[in-house]
Amino acid sequence: MAVIVCHGLKGGAGITFVAAHLAMTLSEAGAEVTVLSVAQRDTLPLHFGLQPALTLPSLFAPAEDAVLASGINLRSHTRATDDADFVPTLHDLGYLEAGPDRVMVIDVPASEFAFARRIIPHSSANLCVLNAAPDTLALLPQVLGDASAETIARTTFAINALDETRRLSRHSAAFIRELVGPRLIGRIRLDEAVPEAIAMLQPLARYAPSSAALADVRAIGAAMVPALETPGRPWVARGDLAAPSSSRAA
Amino acid sequence: MRIDARHLLDRLGKNDFAYKEFEDRFTELELWPILEALLRDPRLQAIDQVETAAPEPVVSETVETHAPEPLSALFSRYGRGPAAPTDVAAERRGAQAQDVRAMLRHLSDLGSRGEI
Repeated sequence: MAVIVCHGLKGGAGITFVAAHLAMTLSEAGAEVTVLSVAQRDTLPLHFGLQPALTLPSLFAPAEDAVLASGINLRSHTRATDDADFVPTLHDLGYLEAGPDRVMVIDVPASEFAFARRIIPHSSANLCVLNAAPDTLALLPQVLGDASAETIARTTFAINALDETRRLSRHSAAFIRELVGPRLIGRIRLDEAVPEAIAMLQPLARYAPSSAALADVRAIGAAMVPALETPGRPWVARGDLAAPSSSRAA
Repeated sequence: MRIDARHLLDRLGKNDFAYKEFEDRFTELELWPILEALLRDPRLQAIDQVETAAPEPVVSETVETHAPEPLSALFSRYGRGPAAPTDVAAERRGAQAQDVRAMLRHLSDLGSRGEI
């Protein structure tokens, strides 16, 4: 089981959007994926085209209570951030053990940065979602100053909702690119289809299959795969990211 | 997406609009003050002093893949920048005694290639 932590510096960056689509990309590649939301107020179901009134089952709820969207198991654990035994619990549940093609994506709100720091050392990979905006950039020194060298070394970055028609956005993206170098694994263009899909209660892939943001976030999912592999054994055995299999029925 | 935009994309044989043709005359711009302030913050050097974790993710095709440049090199472009953080960083910085306009020139190059 690979654990991927999606987190960010500032609320509204689109962490949940990226976490949801990372899960979809890996699922289409053949993995058995669970997405865990630790947010008190959760928008995760909306990215799967589910009703806003839906409450996700607990991580500990029985299988018959599971919510599956495109074959992805959606779970919630709102007390995870205060749970000192969260990592041992993941271990007890088998999520930290080696297993074929199983992935847990943990969606961590930006406000829970201490929780993110705590679980990143136990993860296979982690992705920090940024906006190319000056207020986000202004937080970088504080975050990097607080993070351990190990955490920084293990962190990859993605720029979300990038408006390349705006000069300041392009300059801010260039600054991030210069700063983090190859740790920047992709950028997702600003795309009105993303909120429109939520408003239509449809997954983005169904509402706007040619969405620029969808293509970008899929590329980021594909870029995460090497971090999940172990030497001598490809992580994804059943699928091919270049030609994803059809999603499993919701 | 509006139907007229959809029809236009169909005629062009594209799935989406790309804004790669937008160009900036970076050489005529000054660095945004917030970027300059950030470059002076020694805490940003932390990201320059750690090695990338292995295995390294593959960079997606949509992202520029130029060779990474130490952040310390950016600091070096300021004549009155902070003291060199480490001897190692100084070595990596090499002989690049540049000023902030060198960064702007680099950004301009990226802009002219449509990469930012």
